[in-house]
Amino acid sequence: MTETEMDELRERLEKYVGKPMGAAAVAPDPVNLPMIRHWVAALDDQNPVYLDQEAAAGSRFGGIVAPPAMLQAWTMPSPKIEGIAERGGAPRESRGENPISILDEAGYVGTLATNSELEFLRYLRPGDHLHTTMELESISSRKNTSLGQGYFITWVTNYFAGDEEIVGKQLFRILKFDPSSIDPSSLKGSG
Amino acid sequence: MKTAIPSSNVKVGHELPEFALPVTSTVIVAGAIASRDFMPAHHDPEYARGQGAPDIFMNILTTNGYVARYVTDWAGSEAMIRTIRIRLGGPAVPGQLLRFTGQVTAVGEEADERVIEVTLRAVNDLGEHATGTVVVTLPLT
Repeated sequence: MTETEMDELRERLEKYVGKPMGAAAVAPDPVNLPMIRHWVAALDDQNPVYLDQEAAAGSRFGGIVAPPAMLQAWTMPSPKIEGIAERGGAPRESRGENPISILDEAGYVGTLATNSELEFLRYLRPGDHLHTTMELESISSRKNTSLGQGYFITWVTNYFAGDEEIVGKQLFRILKFDPSSIDPSSLKGSG
Repeated sequence: MKTAIPSSNVKVGHELPEFALPVTSTVIVAGAIASRDFMPAHHDPEYARGQGAPDIFMNILTTNGYVARYVTDWAGSEAMIRTIRIRLGGPAVPGQLLRFTGQVTAVGEEADERVIEVTLRAVNDLGEHATGTVVVTLPLT
């Protein structure tokens, strides 16, 4: 690929920056004790405010709260298991063109998560029903990395309880890279 | 587990006790499914190797969960986490210990809370799996 084509690729992505990424997601279920129990068992987290009614009532929280790091779990889409490997692990069929599908098609098929920044405005309680909005915050220029050439994509998810109370945020950054471009010297002859 | 540390004793430079998690396939799969993450890379070794990974690897929700647990195991059940900011490195894979270390890097006061920043890292044989900071608050006592 030539430099010009690269610039065109980045230009094609520009229209997505600062825009919503996909439709708003709604949690299939409110925050609930059974899912908290699964999580607490899986991670062997002994913090009593997650499951022990009495201890939680006597704590600063005044009752059961969900482990904060579960935030993302509440709004994960329910998966269609059949074909999930063929979809690269995507829980559902993706609809339409998006920056990630554009990069995949252009050969930047590798994905590496690089940063996660979670912010909790309050702890969640059973009954809180979440929904999210996602916005594409930035796409870097093309970078040379140890995995090959690629683009860093950053998006921010806002988590809401009820109609409009914001309860948490996550910034997430991935590198979409072209594994075949790992040796930069091999590119010099092709441009 | 109430308050493992009196919040007035928390000083910059204080080291958190090390925690070593023996990562197994079960640890990875249990965390992935409890977080409703059904990506095959977190439960199917053949799929994971096809993606260039050495084996199945821990999903990010589980990593964040253990980072949170590492801090609240130390700070106690009155602790409230405000932020978890991590940079992700190599994968956490079965058969390796994931070692968590951390220290207090900032302490402040806000209204009726003590605000504590912990800088931490989780490392295995492949190198750094996650590095970053957790900001946690404790009621002033």
